[in-house]
Amino acid sequence: MSEILNVGFLTAFLSAAVRMSMPITYAALGETVSEKAGIINVGLEAVMLSGAFFSFAVLYYTGSMILGFLGGILAGVILSSLHAFLAVYLRQDHNVSGVALNFFSLGITSFLFGIMVKKVGSLPQTETLPTIEIPLLSDIPIIGEAFFSCDIITYLCYFMVFAIWFFLKKSTWGLSLISVGENPRAADTVGIRVNKVKYLSAIFNGFMSGLGGAYLAIGQLGVFSENVTSGRGYIALAVVVFGQRNPVFIFLAALFFGAAQALQFRLQALGVNLPSQFFNGLPYLLTVVVLLLSTKKSSEPAALGQPYIRSMR
Amino acid sequence: MKKKLLKILPQIVIVLVVAALLVIMAGGNPLRAIKIFFQGTLGNLNGFMEIFVKATPLIFLGLGVSVSFRTGFFNIGAEGQLYMGAVAATATVFALPGLPGAVRIILATLAAFVTGGLWALIPAMLKRKMNISETVTTIMFNYIAIMIVGILVRGPLQDKSGALPQTPFIPDEASLPLLAYPTRLHLGVVLAIAAAILLYILLTKTTVGYELKIVGTSPRAAFCMGLPITRSLVISALLGGGLAGMAGMNEVLGVQHRLLEGISSGNGYTAVLVALLARNHPIGVVIVSVLLAAVQVGANTMQRQMGIPASIVNLLIGFIVVMVLSQDIVKIYREHKKAKELEVNQK
Repeated sequence: MSEILNVGFLTAFLSAAVRMSMPITYAALGETVSEKAGIINVGLEAVMLSGAFFSFAVLYYTGSMILGFLGGILAGVILSSLHAFLAVYLRQDHNVSGVALNFFSLGITSFLFGIMVKKVGSLPQTETLPTIEIPLLSDIPIIGEAFFSCDIITYLCYFMVFAIWFFLKKSTWGLSLISVGENPRAADTVGIRVNKVKYLSAIFNGFMSGLGGAYLAIGQLGVFSENVTSGRGYIALAVVVFGQRNPVFIFLAALFFGAAQALQFRLQALGVNLPSQFFNGLPYLLTVVVLLLSTKKSSEPAALGQPYIRSMR
Repeated sequence: MKKKLLKILPQIVIVLVVAALLVIMAGGNPLRAIKIFFQGTLGNLNGFMEIFVKATPLIFLGLGVSVSFRTGFFNIGAEGQLYMGAVAATATVFALPGLPGAVRIILATLAAFVTGGLWALIPAMLKRKMNISETVTTIMFNYIAIMIVGILVRGPLQDKSGALPQTPFIPDEASLPLLAYPTRLHLGVVLAIAAAILLYILLTKTTVGYELKIVGTSPRAAFCMGLPITRSLVISALLGGGLAGMAGMNEVLGVQHRLLEGISSGNGYTAVLVALLARNHPIGVVIVSVLLAAVQVGANTMQRQMGIPASIVNLLIGFIVVMVLSQDIVKIYREHKKAKELEVNQK
């Protein structure tokens, strides 16, 4: 086991952890904003998966990575908006709508992908995003390579963590959004357009989660396969709770989930034989334990998942 | 009844048109697809019985989820409760080699029910005592249950004669008896339908059922009436999780005859939609489950014989549910319009 403690191992491990955490972080950040405004989207997995497939399909047919990302984001925004429409306008149960989304997205992506494969035979691996090293910072041992020798989307993520933190904690708009999730009636009374805020937050969630999925497919893997997100959307939901809906904590929580996955592969490479399910389930188990131990009030917005009907008192 | 049928008729037509379009997209002939679909489901005994084999876990799971939903416990954890039920049933069968088969089956069923129920009770208590949303905790408990199964079938329960992550076969006498050999139909379907009838009686004819309903529709009203809210939540979680656990027992003792990973393949999530389409009504759950299972069996035949991806099922299920969720759209649009007019008038 002494191999675990050398610098080379730690560097590779931490790099892998950052890589694995990125798509999850994007989705979890988007979901946080959405939940703060009172919409919980259990269909996060669906949004990511659509982002992944449509980014890959657009990239394959146009050859443009930027268009690919835009395609993935657009797919995410459409699905997330559909969820918001069902939940806000039609006042349906958020969970049911989210689960329906998951089926729909898994179905449509697998179906279209099946047709694509049938038409063109085997699909080539596309080019992934290039690494951009940040001078000086990337020379720091261990941390430098993991955090500052990444691609552009990872750096954008650092910025988003800060931006969303600033938005939620320091800006008036953020305060309005939080008030919509906590007490929509009061927010309405002071002139905030409750449902408009909800829709906007859902669109933002679609943007972030779609981007997360797109990044996974065309930024990191360069391929799409059926159900390529394989539960990352559900992990992101747990990360939101674990990170107590605070962008900085969410970044760390996602890193923790990413680290658990990375550790699994590293240990397997070293020949340590632990069942992979152990590492897949461990972060969830720890999240539950943390929930149980935390004496703090849960960070859940008071009106999460509830419809707001203006004409009802 | 006639009115109801008229209301859902256009929806059925839309779904059929969408399905036909999808078949054409996949390069198939819709008329041939219909023929093959019916050949696969109604045209031969095996296919017909397979519908009920596939419907059985959905009935158990759908009943479980609908009980929880009725009490306002948004249980998305049926998948995990199924896995825990499967673990308990397997362990019970292997732990009591000396007893007669029927006794082992009964004990395994009880164990599956209790374990599944307890697995649902933890998130329910987290919700009640600490105000943590059950939506996310039940999903997390799904993954933890899958982890437990993964570790067990690679460790203490693994079939030592092979390297695959699965337990040995359970003995024949501890399996649910077959009802129509040579098809796979087994006693599970009878148990599932019996469970649905019992649940129907419990929910509509007893005070317990009444309490569950009140607590679900209006916790505040329940509180004012002095109803024991925590007790209702406990009953609903134990019952809901227990029924989902029975689905795990059913898969181990009736279908796979061993515990292995992926024993459910997402049926726990399908159950959420079953409960919705059945409007949480036990008999409705049976009907919806059989229909969904028929679609699955038919789609599998279409995949085998025409190469149309079976993922068409998930797509259609998602589509149908979104359509059902938006069927009040005209009514709500009118309400919104009316509310707006009121506002304008007030100004």
